[in-house]
Amino acid sequence: MNTFFQTLIVGLRLGSIYALVALGYTMVYGIIRLINFAHGDFIMVGGYTMIFVIPVVLRLGLPAWAAVLAAIVVCALVGMGTELVAYRPVRKKGTNMTALITAIAMSLFLENLAQAIPAIGPNPKVASQIFKAGGIHIGTVTMEYTTIITLVISAVVMIVLFTFTQKTRLGRAMRCVSEDKAAATLMGINVNSTILLTFGIGSGLAAVAALMYMAQYPKVYTTMGALLGLKAFVSAVLGGIGIIPGAVLGGIVIGLVESFTTAYISSSMADTFVFLILIIVLILKPAGIMGKNIGEKV
Amino acid sequence: MKTSRFFSILLVLCMVFCIAAAGGSAFAADDQIIIGLISPNTGALAAYGTGIVTGADLAVEEINAAGGILGRQVQLIKTDDQSDPTECLNAFNSLVAKGVGLIIGSATSGCTSAITDAANEEEVCILSPTATADSITTEDDFIFRACYADSFQGAIAAAYAKQAGFDKVGVVYCAADVYSKGLFDSFSKACAEYGIELAAEQSSASLDVQDYTNQFTAMVNAGVEFVYAPYYYDVIGPYVVPQARAAGYSGIIMGADGYDTTPDYVVAGADLTAFNDVYWTNHYDPSDTSEKVSSFVQAYEAKYGSIPSAFGATGYDCVYMYKQAIEAAGSEDSVAVRDALADRSAVYECVTGTFSLDESGTPLKGAAIISFQSDGSTVTSKLVDVVTQLP
Repeated sequence: MNTFFQTLIVGLRLGSIYALVALGYTMVYGIIRLINFAHGDFIMVGGYTMIFVIPVVLRLGLPAWAAVLAAIVVCALVGMGTELVAYRPVRKKGTNMTALITAIAMSLFLENLAQAIPAIGPNPKVASQIFKAGGIHIGTVTMEYTTIITLVISAVVMIVLFTFTQKTRLGRAMRCVSEDKAAATLMGINVNSTILLTFGIGSGLAAVAALMYMAQYPKVYTTMGALLGLKAFVSAVLGGIGIIPGAVLGGIVIGLVESFTTAYISSSMADTFVFLILIIVLILKPAGIMGKNIGEKV
Repeated sequence: MKTSRFFSILLVLCMVFCIAAAGGSAFAADDQIIIGLISPNTGALAAYGTGIVTGADLAVEEINAAGGILGRQVQLIKTDDQSDPTECLNAFNSLVAKGVGLIIGSATSGCTSAITDAANEEEVCILSPTATADSITTEDDFIFRACYADSFQGAIAAAYAKQAGFDKVGVVYCAADVYSKGLFDSFSKACAEYGIELAAEQSSASLDVQDYTNQFTAMVNAGVEFVYAPYYYDVIGPYVVPQARAAGYSGIIMGADGYDTTPDYVVAGADLTAFNDVYWTNHYDPSDTSEKVSSFVQAYEAKYGSIPSAFGATGYDCVYMYKQAIEAAGSEDSVAVRDALADRSAVYECVTGTFSLDESGTPLKGAAIISFQSDGSTVTSKLVDVVTQLP
């Protein structure tokens, strides 16, 4: 029974991270139908920003997690910069496919750029302790506070984002853009600035995800976003890409599958099962767990 | 208009190539002995590359200051494999294209195994500082190394477990990595020989895995107090050791030379007493007081301001092994040097031990067993024992 609880907690810990990252993917996809493969690398940007800012923050007598504020600003700027420099010109001239390739190029560009910056370099860096160690004991296993905080943050972000897109004017503008860009322009919505805002929010979320990732897995390296981004993308697709609660559900499912495979089937098969589950779900329900099958728009 | 522009571009290109060609020939005319170096200078294992490059640089500097090899100066051409086997082969090809016949590299078994076939085909000598997988060196080839093989390294850990009185052990390793899997194989084989029961066996799918809690929960459930976990420093420091302790595992964690430089990769502010009872085998111990080791450590510290890792020591040794082989061969011709290295009677007095090479080209030497010690806020290394022969 202890093993079961331990496995559950590890699954939730991994899943809460995937959920938080998947929210960023789903947010951008929901608005401009672009799978932003560079999202995982925005997390790397956030991670390195915190590596450099945490010592400053600690010297000012603030808690280490306050560094996330700087990371949010940097990530949002990098995200909006990417949209302005790379995605927008490509979107004007090319098709969805060119935009997708640009996103992959952007991801590799950011990874290699980070390596080339002397202060970052190729060596992995290890973060200092971010939240106080400790947790709630269930029998002999411990549910760490960090895991609980990550889950709470994921839930709060999910609710805030959902409310924002459903209830506010800006959110409504975003939904309009996602449905029909031309009609949105006719209704007086500034499409470009709406998309820019979407990137700002999505990338800011990457900084929050980076904080929670580092609090549990304190190693930061230039390619950290690659596999993490891929698994989060799988989570978003599994939950139904573009659907905000779906991203959280998908993330937690992937985390649990990974953990239970490790504990009960084979520890070296975890990734195999994650992607196997994805294929099965997509065969049974192509739009994802929470997705609705909508016919092609004419 | 268009044609004239085309021709002017062509002309510029011609000039550029002329300059490049002139540079190339001036380079070749220089009467230097060239040694190529392939190491992971960037990427996840960059600390290894840095160690090897600094160690080799120091050796070349010393040799050149003392008059060079056969009266000629030595030059290192450094290339980077990013600890990626494909990049390693690219680096090898670029060195061969420059006419380099003697190469030091690479750090990991995964990368080195990618260039061994090509090296034999091109008749280029490879001397690896730290590729420990058994399969790297074979008889009658151009591949040599300055380190012991994993069959010895894994067996030493098993012998240590036996000596410390454990008759039941567990293993956590990476199934997708040549080094980790190789050490697991040699450790489990040695356990069978020494009559130690392998009570729990867990693995991870790749070196990118971040969570090892479930693996160590399985160790706790199996009731083992000694776990062999052959991983690299960037996994051990931030992930494996803290997570193992958090999962309730309080016994011994033992590893191999991949643990070197771990104290630089621990979480500041966390409870580092987790690193007590962590043991590992290494090529040498910097606190060794022998003349050879202490003079090397002093020279390295004077030049770089830090204590050399085992990678610095083996990188340094590789250059001196080539020096001795070139002097024995009387030239830097790669086939002649190969024959000199294959001479089993040659004795190399190196920082990482005094040894001769066996029939496959692997040194016959001992290993240092080192433990980590922590007062809670820092992690330091301490020499436990030096083993020269398996029991």
